[in-house]
This record gives sequence, C-alpha cells and structure tokens, in this order.
Amino acid sequence: MREQQRKDAVWRFLTYAFVITMVVVMMVPLYWMLVAATLPQEQFLQFPPRLIPGTAFLDNFAALQERLDFLRTIRNSVLIAVVYTLLSLVLCSMAGFAFAKYEFKYKEPIFYAILATLVLPIQLLVIPLFLLMAQLEWTNTFRAIILPWAANPIGIFLMRQNMKSIPDALLESARMDGATEFQIFYRIALPTMRSSLAALAIILFLFQWDLFLYPLVILESADMYTIPIGLAQLTGFQRIYYDQIMVAATLAIVPMVVLFLVLQKQFVSGILAGSLKE
Amino acid sequence: MATSDETDERVGETYRRRARMRVRRTTRQIRRAARPAWDRVRFARQDLTAAVPTLPRVAYLFIAPFFVLFGLFLAFPVAYTLYLSFFEYQGVGEGSLFWIDLGPVYIEIPQIAQLSFVGAGNYLRLLGNDLFWQSMFNTSYILAIQVPLMIGLALALALALNASFMRFKGVFRTAIALPVSANLVAYSTVFLLLFNEQLGFLNYVLSGVGLGPVPWLTSEFWARNTIIAAVTWRWTGYNMIILLAGLQTIPQQLYEAAEIDGANRWEKFRYVTLPQLKPVLLFVVVLSTIGTFKLFAEPYVITGGGPTNATITIVQYIYRQAFVNFNLGYASALTVVFVAVVSVFSILQIKLGGED
Repeated sequence: MREQQRKDAVWRFLTYAFVITMVVVMMVPLYWMLVAATLPQEQFLQFPPRLIPGTAFLDNFAALQERLDFLRTIRNSVLIAVVYTLLSLVLCSMAGFAFAKYEFKYKEPIFYAILATLVLPIQLLVIPLFLLMAQLEWTNTFRAIILPWAANPIGIFLMRQNMKSIPDALLESARMDGATEFQIFYRIALPTMRSSLAALAIILFLFQWDLFLYPLVILESADMYTIPIGLAQLTGFQRIYYDQIMVAATLAIVPMVVLFLVLQKQFVSGILAGSLKE
Repeated sequence: MATSDETDERVGETYRRRARMRVRRTTRQIRRAARPAWDRVRFARQDLTAAVPTLPRVAYLFIAPFFVLFGLFLAFPVAYTLYLSFFEYQGVGEGSLFWIDLGPVYIEIPQIAQLSFVGAGNYLRLLGNDLFWQSMFNTSYILAIQVPLMIGLALALALALNASFMRFKGVFRTAIALPVSANLVAYSTVFLLLFNEQLGFLNYVLSGVGLGPVPWLTSEFWARNTIIAAVTWRWTGYNMIILLAGLQTIPQQLYEAAEIDGANRWEKFRYVTLPQLKPVLLFVVVLSTIGTFKLFAEPYVITGGGPTNATITIVQYIYRQAFVNFNLGYASALTVVFVAVVSVFSILQIKLGGED
C-alpha cells in the first residue's frame, strides 16, 4: 500500500512538473516580447541579454510611430474586425433563422451546398477575389476586406443549429399577436441567442483579426494597413529594429490577451462552437 | 435509278412525318404527365399563402443578403479558380465573359482577366516543377512532425488538467491557452526575435548550458524545426481546450467500473479514455492537418521560405507565383491541386480513423 502511495506521489509530481514546464514555455515568448519592447535599442543589443523589463517603451513607440503610423494600423484593424463581425452576425443570424424556422423550396440542398464550402481553404479564393476586386476597382479599400467573408458558412451553420431549439409555439404566439416576421426575428429569436451570438462574434472577430494573405494582396498603401500587414512590412525593411517591432507586437497581442482573460468563457465556447462543425 | 431515288424520297418523307408525329405525341404525353405535378406545386403554393400569408417571401428576404455576398464572393470565385487553372493570365480584363440578351433584360458579366487557353498545360508544368515538389516536401515534413507533436502535447495537458488531484486547473488552462489570442503575424515576429542567432533568448540559454548557439534560421534542418516550434506554441492550447471538453463528457462510471476490474492507470487510458475520446481526437487531428497544410504567415515572417527554399510551404509558393510573378493561371492550377490534396488527406484520415 505504501508502495502504491509513493508511486502516486511520483506520478503527481511528474504531472505538475510537466504542466508547469508547459506554462513556462507558453509564457517565455510573451515575456521576452515585453522585455524587448521596453528596452532601449543599445541595451537590447548587449550580450548577455537583459531579462528585466526596462522603461523605454514610450521612446520605442515614438520611434516606431515615426516609421509607420502604427496607431492608425491598429485603428484600421479594429475598425475592419468590428464592422465585419457586426455585418456577418446580422447576415448569418438572419439566414440561419430562415433555415431553422421557415420552409422554402430547395432549402436542404442550398444548406448543404453552403456546408460543403466549409471544407474549402480560404486561400482558394484569394486569386479570383484579387481579380474581381481589381475589376471593381476596390483594391486598397476596406470593403474589399470586409465583404467577401461576411457570408460566413460557419456562422450560418451555428446560427441554424442554435435557432432550431427556439420553440415554434413561441414564434406562433407572437404571430397571433400580430408581430411581423422581422419583429419576431429581432424581438424574440435574437434575444434568446445571446450566448451563441457572443461565441460566434469571437470566432468572426479572431478570423478577421488574423487574416493575412488576403489583405496582403489587397491593401497597398501604408495608411490602409492592418496589424498583420504593418508588422510584416516592419520585418521586411533593410534594417530590422527589433525594439520597435516588439512594441508593435505587444500592442497587437496584449489587448487581445486582456480580452481573452476577461471573456475567457466566451472564448472557450467560441473555440468549441467553431470546432463543432460536423 | 430514278425510281430508286423517288422511293428513297418517299420513304424519307414518310419517315419524317412519322418522326414529327412522334415528337408531338411525346410532348403531349409529357405535358399530361407533368400536369398533376405542376398543379401540386400551384396548389401547395396557394395553401401556404393562405395559411401564413408572407412566409416563403419572408424567408427569401431573410436569406437574400447572405446569398448575394455568398454567390459573388464565395461560389463564383471557387468556380473561377477552376476555370482560371486552364488558362494563362495575360493582363487586366476587357470585354465580357458571359452575356444574356433577353430583349429588355441584358445581363453581362465582364471578363475579369485577359486569358489564353492552355488546356492542361498549367497542371503539366507544376508536375515538372522542382519548387512545387520542394514545397510539397517541406509542408509534408512539417506536417509529419508538427501534428503528432502538438496533438500529443495537447492530449497530455488535457489529461493532466483533467486529473482529479490537479489544483489551480483554471490558472493552468488559461496560461496554456493564452497563445490562442496572439495574432499570427505578431507572434511570428516574436519568434523571429526569440530564435535570432545572435540576440535571441533561446541561443542565450543554450549557450549558457553549453549547447549553443544553434543556427535556428540559417540551417535547413533547424529552420524547419523553428517553424514547427512556432506553430506548436500557437495551437497546442487551442487543441487542449477541445480535448479537455471531450474528456469531460466521458462518464465517470466507466472509470469506476474499470477500477473495480483492477485496471491500472495505463489500462484506464488505453481501454476507457482513448476509445471514448476517439471522435474528438480524430476531429482535432483532421483540423490540425488542414491548418498545417495552410501554413503561410509563419514561414513568410520567420524564414521567408528560406534558407534555400527549405521552409517554403505550398501556400507560400502559390502566393509567390500569383502575386510576385503574376502567373495567376498557373497559381490557380496549384491551388486546385492543393485543395485536392488537402481533401484527399482529410477523407483518408476520417476513413482510417473511423475503422476498427
């Protein structure tokens, strides 16, 4: 029995050691980023490297701002992601409601056709969309970034699945009271969907926030850059200023980390909802 | 001879008359057969409108905005990629690709690119291209190491955090899942610095214990491993969350029953956890495989595809061909092959995983 207890203790120790090692591995790059962002360039280039954050963050930020208006880049990214998320939520919840609660011709085939596009990688669309945007003279505009992915197949799928659980009797009684179909959708169906909408909003926001290849092709001028494009440009210069790049990376990552800590439950349900696609 | 010609003509005439009659008869038959169906549709429509006056029309109103965007920016581009893969791109489009003239209604879709038909030329060209095979090899190499490594770590972490004796589960889970919120390019730039040969933290630590410096970005072997490390850092927590949710759905009674049967830790894992978790595990593997196939931002930022194309991925090769060299037709053919490979791979995994 004592033998068993000792084995258990060793096992527990190993498990903790493994988990704590992994936590450290996950934290090191983020900590290193903060250190690099707050050290003046000459201290940063010293060997051995300093491991304690300095106080030069604002100086580095000012230097970064001189080379690339990164505040504007952040504003662009936030603007695009927010507008995209709202637009896509509206489109997906409306269409999802119709697929869940109405009967119309070819409903099933249309729905499965949409689902089929879920498996296609978005890279498939970049070339034709680039040509299309060039033809529409939409290159270097935000609408070219926002509109193509607004009709999001994951969104319509999630919304349909969740809206199915709304009882028909509830909608029917509203109909009896003389509510229009749109009022039923807006006043009755949507409020019951709050948690699903939050999860979907996070999926959509992160999708747009991380989008790289497509904006890289569409956005041309520095004043239109999103965060990924701005950062990629910074690493492409002849001389790489790591302190400035790390300031930019910190500005890109830290707000999202904070958001993740605050909205952790929604993030997790977003990840799980996004992973539930059959 | 003349009589024979006349006979022929007469026979022909009879034949044509018979054919005409047959066509008329068939048309009538089709109409008669179709009538009930058409009536059904008509009456059904009247019934519906009678019961809930606005329903079908409202449904179309609800889906219309979605479908306008879906058709224009998703369905059309997918079809156009396939179309484009048989052509060579020669410049910005003029004229029309497709038009219908119905008198008052005139629909025209402009030609969005100037193209010349090359048949299967693009496909033959990619089969004979060394860089294509190199990018396939790089992607497969990264895939073969990165996906098992990441899923293994994620599964071990999920099991550890699901263990009954584990304290501070929430804190550990949050810490490990934190990279999920890191922007792809931003974290890639952090890894670019972390793995820097002179300034990087990693080489500093390794030199300290007498193992370094390692040429993380300049050796072909290490550059691939750098990419693998970066991707694993970013996505392990994500997969852990999904696996943890899967573990929590396994009924506790199964473990209790196994304990009564005298199963040890390994046997409980092997005969209870693994079979119960299999669908989730399979899902995570398929998703990660697709994700790693699509790798682009990390090699673009961290290694730029180098050294000597050792880390160029398929998507990066497509990007170069399409938007650096403007071989849009050839790049479309590459995309079609890429999608086919990803699909076949996913289906194979599902088929193999679904067995036994």
